[in-house]
Amino acid sequence: MSTIVGAREPVRLAGVGRRYGPRGPWVLRGVDAELPAGRLVRVAGANGTGKSTLLRLVAGVDAPAEGRITGRPARTAYVPERFPPALPFTARDYLVHLGRVQGLRTGPARARAGEWLARFGAEAYAGTPLTALSKGTAQKVAVAQALLADPELLVLDEAWTGLDPEARAELDAAVRERVAAGATALFVDHDPHRLAGEPDTTLTVGAGRVLADAPPPVPALLRSAAPVRAPSPVRIVASGDRPLPDPLPGGAAGAPLAADGAVLFHVAAAHSDDLLRALLAAAWHVHRVEPLRAGADGGRP
Amino acid sequence: MTALLRYHSGLFLRSQRWLAPLLLYAALVAVGVRPGDPVLGSLGIAAAGLLPVAAWSVRICLTQEAAAARAVTAAAGGRARAHLAALLTGAGWPVLAGAVAVGAVTGTGDLAGTGGPAALLAGLLATTACALTGGAVGALVSRPFVKATGWSVAGLLLGSLLVLVTTGSPAKHAVAALVAAEGATRPPWASCAAAVLLAAVTAAVSCRAGARRE
Repeated sequence: MSTIVGAREPVRLAGVGRRYGPRGPWVLRGVDAELPAGRLVRVAGANGTGKSTLLRLVAGVDAPAEGRITGRPARTAYVPERFPPALPFTARDYLVHLGRVQGLRTGPARARAGEWLARFGAEAYAGTPLTALSKGTAQKVAVAQALLADPELLVLDEAWTGLDPEARAELDAAVRERVAAGATALFVDHDPHRLAGEPDTTLTVGAGRVLADAPPPVPALLRSAAPVRAPSPVRIVASGDRPLPDPLPGGAAGAPLAADGAVLFHVAAAHSDDLLRALLAAAWHVHRVEPLRAGADGGRP
Repeated sequence: MTALLRYHSGLFLRSQRWLAPLLLYAALVAVGVRPGDPVLGSLGIAAAGLLPVAAWSVRICLTQEAAAARAVTAAAGGRARAHLAALLTGAGWPVLAGAVAVGAVTGTGDLAGTGGPAALLAGLLATTACALTGGAVGALVSRPFVKATGWSVAGLLLGSLLVLVTTGSPAKHAVAALVAAEGATRPPWASCAAAVLLAAVTAAVSCRAGARRE
């Protein structure tokens, strides 16, 4: 799969092992993995097998006891499993501090803090001390700090837990946007349907090892329709309000479909991934993706 | 790094955890120093009083974040850099408080035999030497080396006392040079340089150990 930001090195884990203390038992050992740009990676496995440890290693929170992790981008963000808001800041001040730590200037950090709190429906709590926030709102702050500065590596340890359904959907969309923009996203979630069908890679952790680096499956959305990698052109039906990049990948042009404001795109198969990514990055909703064959062109099926 | 220092300073100042060490320092200076006393001796006492305060302040800055908040900062700013920023914040504010005390003590003390500028310079060097030595003690009795609060506090008190009386400690030499001075004294450059070196080595070891031990 091609990536929009192809220049960035993948995050590479080579023979990585981790144990707590110099003589503790190994939590993880012999982990080899490559996490390229523009890739969504699910980490699966039973409780207590080392999923969180793997995430902490990739995020740079813990250092490996053996082996090496290379290629971690400068803008890395991490959402911990539980975020205890025992810090003497308001939600906005905390986000501004974290935005600055991630390289933003104070003004933009403040503006983005407001935007992200609003996106998760927590703008009313911007001036509330973190210690006075409910568990769910504190989790929104934890998620907002991670998305604030357009991270190139996003590590989410059950970040959805405690969020309300709207915020969960918003986080799903935000993760898709980051991946579409070329970021690497690594996540653990107890809900097996979380971002179902979308992960490009699943790392299964068990018995202190990363057991399988599954080959990238064809996303379910595409699989259900048809083999988009076939040389035939592809038609994509999508809808959205936000402006799209101009020109679109592959020179695709949208033709409005009268019925519901949806727009029909025709694009060469080679550019279909890029067009989808551009649509998702602009927060468009993709209705259908299907191959364009003779006879399948007329009318809406 | 500036952003991390602002973050840790924000935590330190807004949590009001700075208040107790500052009150301790004010009490030590108030008890040990009388206006009109020979200025160098007073500066020596004020510098010595800063040592446990700096150790305490560094310990506060290393432990004021909950583990999850620390993980977030470590991912955003880098684990070692975040740890270093906590150390610098914990040692920096006591140096500032010490500098204010040096000014006050020099202003009220008996300058007989020494000039004001010479006393200021000697006082600032001794204060920095004590703050950095104390900071090193604070770093060594906190995470990642000592995690249990009881041992940590005991180590902090004992360690602070030890580095004030042990021969070879930069703080002891700086304080002794000022307290023993009759009239003029040479500025304690060597003690201050030794304290800078000690603090730098301790910080490096502490940042590296953090990766292994927690």
